[in-house]
This record gives sequence, C-alpha cells and structure tokens, in this order.
Amino acid sequence: MSEDAREAVGDYKAGWHDPENATIRFDYGLSEQVVRDISALKNEPEWMTEIRVKAFHHFMERPMPTWGNMHMLEEIDFDKVCYYLRSSNATEKNWEDVPEDIRNTFERLGIPEAEQKWLSGVTAQYESEAVYHSIREDLEEQGVIFLDMDSGLREYEGIVKEYFCSVVPFSDNKFSALNTAVWSGGSFIYVPSGVHVEMPVQAYFRINAKNMGQFERTLIIADEGSSIHYVEGCTAPTYSTDSLHSAVVELIAMPGAHIRYSTVQNWSANVYNLVTKRGVAHENATIEWIDGNIGSKLTMKYPAVILKGEGSHAEVISVAYSGKGQHQDAGAKIHHLASNTTSKILSKSISKNGGRGSYRGMVTVSPKAENCKVNVVCDALLLDEASRSDTYPTMEVGNSGARCEHEASVSKVSDDQLFYLMSRGHSEEEALALIVNGFFEPFTRELPMEYAVELNQLMSLEMEGSIG
Amino acid sequence: MSSPYLEHANTDKAAHIWRYTPWKRAHPTGTINEVPQSESPEISISLVDGTSVPDGITIEPATESDIERLGHELDFDHGTAAPKFIAAVAKKTMILKIENKIKVETPLIVTITTSGDICASRLLIDIGSQVEAEIITLIEGNANWTGILREGQYGSNSIINDVVTQITGNRLVRCDALSLCRDAQVKAGTVNASSSQAKIDIRHWLNEPGSSLKVNGSILSSNENHLDSHIEITHSGRQTHSRLEWHSACGGKSNTTGTGMLRIDAGAKGADAGQLFHNLLLSEKAKANSIPELEVLESEVVGCGHGTANGPIDEQQLFYLSTRGLDEEQARAALIAAFLNTPLSDMGSNLLHGWLVERIEKHLNLI
Repeated sequence: MSEDAREAVGDYKAGWHDPENATIRFDYGLSEQVVRDISALKNEPEWMTEIRVKAFHHFMERPMPTWGNMHMLEEIDFDKVCYYLRSSNATEKNWEDVPEDIRNTFERLGIPEAEQKWLSGVTAQYESEAVYHSIREDLEEQGVIFLDMDSGLREYEGIVKEYFCSVVPFSDNKFSALNTAVWSGGSFIYVPSGVHVEMPVQAYFRINAKNMGQFERTLIIADEGSSIHYVEGCTAPTYSTDSLHSAVVELIAMPGAHIRYSTVQNWSANVYNLVTKRGVAHENATIEWIDGNIGSKLTMKYPAVILKGEGSHAEVISVAYSGKGQHQDAGAKIHHLASNTTSKILSKSISKNGGRGSYRGMVTVSPKAENCKVNVVCDALLLDEASRSDTYPTMEVGNSGARCEHEASVSKVSDDQLFYLMSRGHSEEEALALIVNGFFEPFTRELPMEYAVELNQLMSLEMEGSIG
Repeated sequence: MSSPYLEHANTDKAAHIWRYTPWKRAHPTGTINEVPQSESPEISISLVDGTSVPDGITIEPATESDIERLGHELDFDHGTAAPKFIAAVAKKTMILKIENKIKVETPLIVTITTSGDICASRLLIDIGSQVEAEIITLIEGNANWTGILREGQYGSNSIINDVVTQITGNRLVRCDALSLCRDAQVKAGTVNASSSQAKIDIRHWLNEPGSSLKVNGSILSSNENHLDSHIEITHSGRQTHSRLEWHSACGGKSNTTGTGMLRIDAGAKGADAGQLFHNLLLSEKAKANSIPELEVLESEVVGCGHGTANGPIDEQQLFYLSTRGLDEEQARAALIAAFLNTPLSDMGSNLLHGWLVERIEKHLNLI
C-alpha cells in the first residue's frame, strides 16, 4: 500500500488486495465497441445489446450533475476505468470450486462462515462477475429464484425483459445510463406468491483490481404476499488511484409483498460510489431500505420508493459516517402516487476529521394521493471543527389531505453524556464510541445481529484516536 | 448600466432557488437578456398614527458612497440574477436613514406606491446604532411588475422590527440583503396576501457577535397565486441566534413554495439557529413545496435544526369549534386566521400587529 493510500484510508481493515489473475480484462476506457463486446461475451439476446448501446449514447450525451459535490465528480476520469474484468470462468455452487485466491479473499471477509450460520443464500461477486452462488435447497423447492443477474437473464429472459429498466430507466441519470451500458453481475431474485424467505439472502461485492469499475445490476421481484430480506456488503482494496462503483437496483413489491434491502457499504476511501436504487410498491406492499454508508470517497445514493399502490408503505433508515476526505451525500426519495400510503425516513450522519455528510431527500405527494402520511427525521453529529453537515430536503405536496413532517438537527456530542459515561469508568474515547454507537442504534437494530455487531466494531475502530 | 446583470442572467436550474420559479418566469418580459425601461415608484415615510416623522429619520436619494457602503458587499450566490436585474432597471436608489440612538414608539410606514407596467426601486437601509424602531414597508399600487431591492444594515445594539408587506398587487420580485451588526436584535416580517406572482428572496447575515434575528412570514395564497419565498440566514459571528417561522395558508389553485438556507460558517461558535415552515393546505388544487436546507460547518453550536410540516386543517380543532357554536365556515376562517396570526403576532408591538391584522383580515374571505 502506498503512503498516500495509507494516509487516505487509515485503518481500513478490508484494504488488502490479491494479485490480479484476470482471465479476461478489457482495456481502460469506454466506447460503443466495449459495450458490444461485453454483451457479446455474455451471449446476450439482441434486445439487451440494444438497450446497452442506447444507454451508452445517453451516458455520453448527458452532462455531469450540476449539484452535489461537483468538484469530486469532475475528478472522475472515465477513460481510466476498466469496465470489465473477469477473474473466474464460472459461477460456482461450492466454495471449493472457486479459485483459491478469490476463495481466500471471501474467507477473510467471513462470507462462507456467515452463509453456514445465518443466511438463506449467498452470491459473491469479484470484479465484474459472480464467482460463487448458492441458495438453500428448501427455498429452491418453493420456487424462489436466486441467481446472479447474468444467469437470471439466460434462464429467465422473459421475466428480466419485462422488468429490466422498468423501475430505473437508463435515461434516469448519467450513472444509471452508465450502469445499463456496461452492467455485469448483481443478483436476480424472484420470490413466488405467499413465500416468506425467513433468513436473509446476501450478496457480497468485492473490487480487487486497480482503477476498476464495478457495475452490478440487481433486480428483485417479490410476488403477491411474499417477503424477502436482502443484505449486501461491499469492500475494496486500498489504492492511491480511484475506482468506480455504479450499481442499479430495481425492486418490485407486488400487492402485499415485503422487501427489505439492507446495505453496509464499506468501500475503501478511493472508491466513488454512485448508485441508483429504486423500488415500486404495489397495493399494501412494503419496501424498506436499510442503508449504511461507512466507506468510499464520494457516495451519492438516494434509495427511492414509488408508492404506486394504495396502502403501500416505504421506510428508509440510513446512517453515514464521513471521515477524512470523504463526502457521504446520501438521502432518500419517496413518491406517494396512491392514497393511504405512508412513508418514514430516518437519516443519521456523523462527520469527523474534515468529513462531510449530506442528507439530500425528496418527498412528493401527487394531487390524487389522498390521506398520505410522511415523516422525515435527520440527525447529524459533528465531532470536530473541520467537519461539515448539510441537509437538503425537498417536499412537494399536491394534496390537501396529506400530513408531511420533516425535522432535522445538527449538534455536537453532549458534554453531559460524555461526563456521565466517564464518571462510570469509561475513557473519553470509549465514551465517545458508546455515544456514537447509541446514535446509530436505530439503524443497527434493524440489521441482522452479525452485521450489527460488525458495524458497532467498525464504528469503535473509526472512533479510535478521536480524542486529543 | 445593465452589464453587471447580464453576466448573471443565465441561472442554474439545479439551484433550488430557481426550481419552482425560474428566473425567466419571474423576469418582467420573460426574455432574460432584456433590461426594459421602468417607472420609479413614489416612496414616502409617515407614522402609523399620522403624527410627523421625528428628526433623524429621512428618506432621500442615495449617493454613490451610500451604494458603495451598503449595496455591494453582500453576495447572493445562486440568486444573483434578480437583485442585479432590479439594480439595473431601477432608475433611482433611495436610502432610508435612522440616525444613532433614535427611539420611535410608533411604527414608521415606508409606502412604496408603484405604477406603470414595470416599476422598480432600490432602497438602501441604514439603521444606526442603538436605534429602537418598527418599520413597515408597504408595497402598493397597480404596476404589473414590481421589483424591490432592499440592502443595508441594522446598526449595533439596535432593536428593529422590520415588516414588508404586499397586500394587493400583481407580480412582485423582492430581494432583501441585510446584515446585522454587533448585538443587533431584529425581527424581520413578511406579509403577503394576494400577489398574483411573487418571488421573494430574503437574506440576512449575522456577521458580528451577539446578533439575534427572528424571521416571520405570514403568507396567504389563493386563486391562482404563485408565491415563492426563499429565506437565507448566514451565521458567521460568534454567539448569534436566529429563528425562522414561515406560515403559508394555501387555497384555490395556488402554488406556494418556501425554501430556506440556514448556513453556519466555520468559526460561528455558539450559533443557535432554527427554521420552521408550515403549510396549511386548504383546497384540493393547492400545492405547497418546501426545501428547508441546512449547511453546518461549525461543530461548537448550541443547536441547529429545521422542520417543515404540511397538512390540512385539523378536524379535531374544527370539531371543537363547532361544539362551541361556530358553523364550519366560521370555524375554518378562525383556524386559518389563527394559523396566520402566529407569526404575525410575533412581528412587533400590539400597534404594529393591529395595523397588519386590519389589512389582512378582508383577504381571508378569498379562501
């Protein structure tokens, strides 16, 4: 690890990298030919190639966003990104069959162990492709489909064709266009009517190579009355040059379905994390985004829910930690299109060592949506003088029966709380870590236990050296 | 004369300030590169009770040095087009001066009477130190488009209630850029009852220690009114305090927007700031938007927060009033009046409040 990189990421514990053993690696830079080559390599149907090419042209024509951290965005050099890299020739169903170096990586990250203990299924993506994939047999027997997205397209082309780009069109924004043009990997999930997947399924995304772009695409369809909890985790090695992660996630919750999508993003501090996540909730369906942003250089992520069906509900709970050189620009978007829909957004951020945390949100209530209820709460903690916190909420209310509330506050750690904990024998550093963990508690209690413990440890690690 | 404006004529649509009322729409002709001819409004000062204005309070044409001192130091950031435009089209710049240590117990009225198609005025405000006064700026007249730019400062240790009201009128673009000197205590009120289209951009800078600001808005939109208010408060001095309370009652097919920016600069230790937007939606076709933004660059703050609430008239309150003998219409009117009265009653003395209530009351019937 270079000195620059070490300086940039501090004690980031997933920052090692393995030697690159690519079986296929594209040259840096993006062109229509690169897009066509990715599609040809995957033997995709023509309609998908056409969508990719259209998206590529849209990406090239569309200017960079003129809001957010434009300074950091302008630093992205799209010609210095590798858009496709394959390190394994197949997606395996047994860990033993995964190439040893990649398997070692995931073992160090604890994925196989977690699968045995508490998961219904796992997909592990390394660079551009899924290298391992499995699902519990009993779920498979009930008709649950859990595949990597490429296999999903091959085996269930009809379903993919119907829903792909239906929630996030490629023209939605510059980065959704980029993802649609060069997507590779990600998860495809279909849960049949009435099936409840009791234990979470997990996807783990790892970038290993330098200047790598990871563009996974995830599509989850929960049919009527079904439920699923999907968990994703992300890490990358520490390099002094930047990598790009630009995913698109589309969720479709049919009437009465329940989808919970949990993310703990712990990319190294050289990764741009520019992600579009959106779900559509039909009648009485629920979509929940539980979103933790700990790592990355710049995150721009605003999980969205379109409440299309009457009685549907959306919930977004997000936390963000911004350390040195980091900008977590996260938030949520909820569109109330139908009557009797409800939504709740809870956003918590901590900024330290010059980090910047921003909440950027939007809630709209359409004129025809009667009796909607919205509650948005944003809390921010600033731990030192060099840090910054912003809140940019937007509310557009077009129906007189809607009840919408938003509140936000920015504060520092209370001296009283610190004093109380120190009077009980904790050092100042421990007391601060406890307060921070308590601040994030509404988020961690929604995570599976193993993730919550991991997150608490991670935050305690981040708090080391905060005092003095 | 027009060149400083033309440099800023093209606005960024991504900036929230132009999101709901693009500059093209607020510009009098819609051609943003045009700087049309305008009329100057009549401006006069008087006291609410009709007595003569005390010595030490004057309104007169501003000198170049006044403009240099009070007019150009403040930055409108993304909203520069509108104030630069008004400065470019206004033929005259006037200055309202209140000398140091003047204390006026009766509210002072600055009447701006507009006429013609396009009418613009630039008004500098120069309040001396230790002044205690209540100022009502009343915008009236029949111009199709009115542009008012108010710039200046409230002197150190001054206690000022400064209310701007447009109760009848057509299209309005109003920009305020005012700074508070050390330990100044200011209540800045806005009352708007029936502009067909209003783009209001109010900015205050708390640059010096100990200053305190309360911004109140009481907005009544009806018919097809389009009222867009942007309120920006910047704390850069230490131990500064600000509160914003903006109430909009939205009826008819109106579209009401409130955007706020509360900025705490690095070094503004001990800042205490909060902003609240309330929208009362009174009809099916009314629309309300709010974006209360917060940018905090200082950790040693007492507290910074904001909130927004949109909702209909509370049915329990309606029910309560109906049990007291009011019919539904009376109960609604009482609740709307109470809603608008909350910030109104905090704008100044009883005398000022009574004067404002008298003028706004008849407009309640419109919704």
